[in-house]
Amino acid sequence: MTKEAARYFVSRLVTTVLVVFGAMLLLFSLTTIVPGDPATALLGPQATPEYARRFIEDMGLDQPTYIRLAKFFGNVVTGDLGIDVISGRSVSAMVWSVLPSTLILTFSAIGLAVLLGVPLGIFAATHRGSVVDHVLAFTSVAFIAVPSFVVAIFLLLIFSIWLDWLPVLGAGREGDFWDQARRSILPIVSLSLAWIGFIARLVRTSMLEVLGENYIRTSRAYGLSERLVTYKYALKNACIPTIAVLGVGVGRLLGPAVLVEIVFARPGIGRLVYDAVTSRNYPVVQGAVLVVVIVFVVINLIVDLSYSAIDPRIRRGTTSQSQAK
Amino acid sequence: MTEPLVSIRNLKLDAATSRGTAHILRGVDLDIGRGRIVGVVGESGSGKSSLASCLLGLLAANVRVLDGSIKFDGVDLLSLGEGQMQAIRGTRVAMIFQDPMTALNPLFTIGTHLIDVIRRRSPKVARRDALARAEEMLRTVGIADAALRLKAYPHQLSGGMRQRVMIAMALLAGPELLLADEPTTALDATVEAQIVSLLQALRRNISGSIAFISHHLGLIAELCDDLCVMYGGMVVETGPVADVLGKPMHPYTSALLACEIGDDREGRLVSIPGEVPDPISETQACMFAPRCAHAIERCRGEVPRMRTAADGRKVACHRFEELA
Amino acid sequence: MNALREALVVLRRVCVTFAGGTGFIIVLAVLAFALFAPWIAPQDPDRLDVLHRFAGPSAEHWLGSDQLGRDLFSRIVFGASVAMAVALTAIAIALSTGTLLGVLAAFLPPRSERLILILFDVILSFPNLVLALAIVAVFGPSTTIVVAVAAITLAPNFGRVARAQTLTLRNAPFLEAERILGASGWRIVVHHVLPNILGPLIVLASMDIPIVITIEAGLSFLGLGVRPPLASWGVLIQDGYQFLSDSWIPVVVSSLTLAIATLGFTLFGESLRDAVDPRIGRER
Repeated sequence: MTKEAARYFVSRLVTTVLVVFGAMLLLFSLTTIVPGDPATALLGPQATPEYARRFIEDMGLDQPTYIRLAKFFGNVVTGDLGIDVISGRSVSAMVWSVLPSTLILTFSAIGLAVLLGVPLGIFAATHRGSVVDHVLAFTSVAFIAVPSFVVAIFLLLIFSIWLDWLPVLGAGREGDFWDQARRSILPIVSLSLAWIGFIARLVRTSMLEVLGENYIRTSRAYGLSERLVTYKYALKNACIPTIAVLGVGVGRLLGPAVLVEIVFARPGIGRLVYDAVTSRNYPVVQGAVLVVVIVFVVINLIVDLSYSAIDPRIRRGTTSQSQAK
Repeated sequence: MTEPLVSIRNLKLDAATSRGTAHILRGVDLDIGRGRIVGVVGESGSGKSSLASCLLGLLAANVRVLDGSIKFDGVDLLSLGEGQMQAIRGTRVAMIFQDPMTALNPLFTIGTHLIDVIRRRSPKVARRDALARAEEMLRTVGIADAALRLKAYPHQLSGGMRQRVMIAMALLAGPELLLADEPTTALDATVEAQIVSLLQALRRNISGSIAFISHHLGLIAELCDDLCVMYGGMVVETGPVADVLGKPMHPYTSALLACEIGDDREGRLVSIPGEVPDPISETQACMFAPRCAHAIERCRGEVPRMRTAADGRKVACHRFEELA
Repeated sequence: MNALREALVVLRRVCVTFAGGTGFIIVLAVLAFALFAPWIAPQDPDRLDVLHRFAGPSAEHWLGSDQLGRDLFSRIVFGASVAMAVALTAIAIALSTGTLLGVLAAFLPPRSERLILILFDVILSFPNLVLALAIVAVFGPSTTIVVAVAAITLAPNFGRVARAQTLTLRNAPFLEAERILGASGWRIVVHHVLPNILGPLIVLASMDIPIVITIEAGLSFLGLGVRPPLASWGVLIQDGYQFLSDSWIPVVVSSLTLAIATLGFTLFGESLRDAVDPRIGRER
């Protein structure tokens, strides 16, 4: 790794840590600006006085702010996200048990989006102005514009209720892979539709831009087959903006994933947070949100860094290495 | 005399632009002899780069051939389909581009670029052998540490080195016709000189013909056998370079020479009065007439045809006999 | 009035394309519904008529009725008011605070600028719905929260755009001239910087409208958004979804409305962006 690359890595890492810190600060500050008595406001009526007392102690609500802050940070760093009001289970355990489900949903959605979106984008770029191109342009906007949970509801209506092709709700029986897979189809499709449209458009634009570049003209001038030019040379250049976008995509999908999980009654972070919010179970909300933020930020970081694996200009630095002519 | 490798007759090229139809080439006649280096000189807008693109069959979407023929070794390139043209590119015809900075794909190593060209001629060659050939060619064009450079990416090389790589690519294609489209324009003066001397040294390696396009008369004088002067989409004069430069027959050629040499007695910079012709204009006249000191009525009303002036020399001027 | 003329030219460019024209029509329709709801809606959206629950479309209930017998069409019309009120308020707030911070960031020394940028990054690192849920957990659901969350989510992008635009202007000669002439910082900002950075900000604002509509609909769908008696499209969808087994019409109708509205605003916003883009020669 060159010095530049190392410096880039470190600066990204620092930014990431700062952002996580900032997020934690933000979440923490929410508890300080709560109107009225924090315990009752945050916990609601289910909390027994016993629990309320323990909550206050845990969160240090009866102590000065800076001590609370220190406690908060200390807890998070050691992985202690508090105790659930109702069940008494550790929040960490609850969050980690449902996180995989949500992540699988999100990653599958992005995977599907790439699988379908990239070829569609390439096709549109190589058949510019054709009927397919125009149709694609319109439908991609349609997919991007309509909220995922609305799509989810429509898919649910069409495929589960009217056509009865796919099972309606839930995540399926434990250990039965096919049952779980069947029940995942509609949620994954609902989530990915918007991104299929987005990626298709992005790939199309990038491809068109790249295909007009001088280095592609060189390849054509040397008689390289159109297939080679498009799929080996142009595609690699065109993918760079797409990869940049994917990292953010995972994070952006977490919001709609929550809604889609609820529409399909699937267990996951979404359901967890929603149930917690409606039952005034603040520690769970806080814990889940924190984990989500950290996951999002870390994924962003990974994608950013893998960026440099694809674009040698970032990896190797841009210094010209020769003076000899 | 043997048949010229390339014979262009009455080539007309039009481009659809927002302002109207631009006549990029207005009936070009040109011969490129076998084994000869032909210098094509002209200002920007004279159509010389379009001429090169035409020889490769790589025209922009809004450009089309209106008329004419391009005979390459007896075959009219304009009658060939895309598939046949593709077979010729990178094997029988190769091109060196003007801007080495953008002509190479930044995401692929030099080695990859060269191997793909090698595979045009020898599709089954093993990667190791191809790399060896590529390395040797890099050394031939004067790149030290050739093995290292093969693994390098374009942005790690200087402009001069990149242009050497492009020359290596062209040589690896082993073409019968090499097109060099202003290969030194984007480089520093010192690097420019090095590239020119490289090309001179490589003459022996190149058995085919070269078309060297430039606006720099001095370079062409050094490098080329024959000279072709273009103006306003037309060829105005051709002939052996020493003859043409020693005794120019077309007023534009004389004016161009005067600019290069700065042959003004008072020591001021010489320039040609007037403006570059507008490609959209539809005139039926000599394109140079508005700026020509020797223009007569006939020049403004009739397009001059290319006529044989002397042995191997052609001029497109109504008055060249009188002005000689 | 020069600005008005420019706006009309841009509008014309938008409407000429199929996508832009369609978007514009939908936008107008939604705005009309929103502004003139009391006159367009045939009935009071809150009027209960429990005897006629889940009625199908009829002369009395153009799109049928919901689980409490309320007229669906009227509720949809008033839903447009809610959507527009929330969207425009949230965007106004985001635009002003974001731009303020962004322009400030462009003029401040690097340390302070870095702080502001990190603030932007932190906010952007929260998936917006998740941030909304966290805030609702603390303050309880309300329309104000929805507006606040949307504003907070959108502000950083306005900030970034404002900052980028201001940076390109900062070294512009005419600003130097003003400074030499002794104009105060404020004057420079208000009279010279702002008008020049407004373009991209307006485009961003119009493209953010469907985003806010979606955020609000999502939250309301969860029951964590606008509170009754206000009924937004999200609430209608939730109602319809809950009583899916009784009738599929309410959920389909309200979902379609939301879909068409977001589609229309997105089409319009994108056409606007293309029409304003100085690189006019570029392809679609």
